[in-house]
Amino acid sequence: MNPYILTILLFAMGLGTTITFASSHWLLAWMGLEINTLAILPLMCQSHHPRAVEATIKYFLTQATAAAMLLFASITNAWITGQWNLEFMSYSLPTTLVTVALALKIGLAPLHAWMPEVLQGLDLTTGLILSTWQKLAPFYLLLQINPSNTSLLLILGLASTLVGGWGGLNQNQLRKILAYSSIAHLGWMILVLQFFPSLTLLTLLMYFVMTFSLFISFKVNNSTTINSLSMSWSKAPIISSMVPFILLSLGGLPPLSGFMPKWLILQELTKQSLAPLATLAALSALLSLYFYLRISYAMTLTMSPNILLNALPWRLPSNQHTLPLAITTSLTICLLPLTPAIITLLTL
Amino acid sequence: MSLPKISRVPASRLLSAVHDPRWPLRSAAPLAVPKRALTQSGYRRPGQPREDKPPWQRIKFDFSKGLEGITKHFKLLRQEFSDRLVGPEGKPIIEHMLEQNRVIWEFRGPDSLQEWTLSSDREIGGQSEIHLKLGKNNETCFLYGTLQSAPPRDGETRYSGYCSMRSKQPLVSFDRKKHHDWSSFNTLHLRIRGDGRPWMVNIAAESYFTHQKDDLYSYFLYTRGGPYWQDVKIPFSKFFLTHRGRIQDNQHPLWLDKVNTIGFTLGDKADGPFQLEIDFIGVCKDYAHTEDFAYEVYKRNPEV
Repeated sequence: MNPYILTILLFAMGLGTTITFASSHWLLAWMGLEINTLAILPLMCQSHHPRAVEATIKYFLTQATAAAMLLFASITNAWITGQWNLEFMSYSLPTTLVTVALALKIGLAPLHAWMPEVLQGLDLTTGLILSTWQKLAPFYLLLQINPSNTSLLLILGLASTLVGGWGGLNQNQLRKILAYSSIAHLGWMILVLQFFPSLTLLTLLMYFVMTFSLFISFKVNNSTTINSLSMSWSKAPIISSMVPFILLSLGGLPPLSGFMPKWLILQELTKQSLAPLATLAALSALLSLYFYLRISYAMTLTMSPNILLNALPWRLPSNQHTLPLAITTSLTICLLPLTPAIITLLTL
Repeated sequence: MSLPKISRVPASRLLSAVHDPRWPLRSAAPLAVPKRALTQSGYRRPGQPREDKPPWQRIKFDFSKGLEGITKHFKLLRQEFSDRLVGPEGKPIIEHMLEQNRVIWEFRGPDSLQEWTLSSDREIGGQSEIHLKLGKNNETCFLYGTLQSAPPRDGETRYSGYCSMRSKQPLVSFDRKKHHDWSSFNTLHLRIRGDGRPWMVNIAAESYFTHQKDDLYSYFLYTRGGPYWQDVKIPFSKFFLTHRGRIQDNQHPLWLDKVNTIGFTLGDKADGPFQLEIDFIGVCKDYAHTEDFAYEVYKRNPEV
């Protein structure tokens, strides 16, 4: 892509999210979301492959629907209460509608159907931007509004963790697995939104770090299926040995960083007398763990039959920039002991 | 050599026959394999009037068939659920990871012929014929017929003379489409015995927009014609994009995660009989083939 156009689009994406962050008026927040959506669309269909165009169209339709619902809800709220402020949504209908619209925007179950197909049509970098940056603005809005319907958020959260677990079970396409993993993690974030919003932010940031590591590891290996990952030991042996840790961190196993959000969420849910819900969520995390382990089994724990020619790439020096990957992998693995400091930082 | 007499619309009464619905529109000679069902081709032969039957007269209601259909679809649904517990595509993951060859279509019994659809330019009023039967010992399929490139005299068609065989779209329960996932493989492997004619292999992938429904990825299949079997290995990177037979300028590689059908077409303008015997059609993984796509795309209007 023309570097000027690429710069403009990336700046526009940043601008959209920043406008939403800076807004206290619903119209400005909606505008930020729309700018964000429109800016990423050309990035998504850069390659002009029919599947990429299909993914772009599906993404556009779902995001436009969600933005329209959001605008409708905010106008309804303005009509009833007479004010456009983000924090003062006191009636249940607009609040519920906003929650559902934002759930569609980020891909929570049962509004998740677009996510695997859209991610499958994109290349790994754009998929990374979709999974991480595009979630920031909707989450900011979710954190601002006072949820009127406590059970709606819990239903959305639990459904997402279950769907994310079950849906990813038999995939062999990595991007679809990452989509279902995203749905599951978003479910965890939503579960605790109304009780301890800082934990939502913590889970979101931890998810960003872990997903970034995983996407970039797959990009370094240039692989989009589980089978093609089996050759990563010859391309980048160190990355192949670190990826199981990233995957286990995504699965939420101690002593890795991914355990931190899950532990704190389960603790908070138990404090709120929602122990059965916490149990169900923890059990659904096992489903996700199964397909994470499957990826690490294919990548690191087994060696696929191959010819000698394919065992030699590690000998050649690589020009890939792996510094971001190194940083995020270290954070993914080693951040658990800093839990008290992070909690203090987020609850300031 | 005169053409064999065909019991269809004679040329001298063409105009009256067009408006007279009592004339049989289809030829008397039956095809060995049923023609495409209505759901697969909504094609109207040029020069023929449209069928203006209301929907309730087009559907045939039958209670026992309905019950059969319900049991069949629920069985398929139960099979899908139990396959999901085993692994991707119903196979354990270790099998999926170790797979380097897979035979997709092989012709070992009469049921295998039901997976294929034949068509020729008879649908548009031409005179080619195509038939499909099992070969010797029920081990292969035998595709044969006659190619005639005389165009039908309906005032619209200018060229004619094609025959083709296309696999049917695989379906799961409740007639939902299932796609072949060949992403672990990179080469198409066919074992055929032809008669020296050049065929075209067409692969149809899943498309989203209606303007892409005639998109096919094609490559050539040159048969030798000898008594010996021919192993043809075509890498998927060699397939180029065509739309309704026209090669497109903007090419892109075939994505293998959602393949719908494969087909073989003959249209080499050489009138006469043809034969093609197919032992199996499979996919394999060639580790030595590292090409992503064989064709470069140049700017059509470069700025100078």
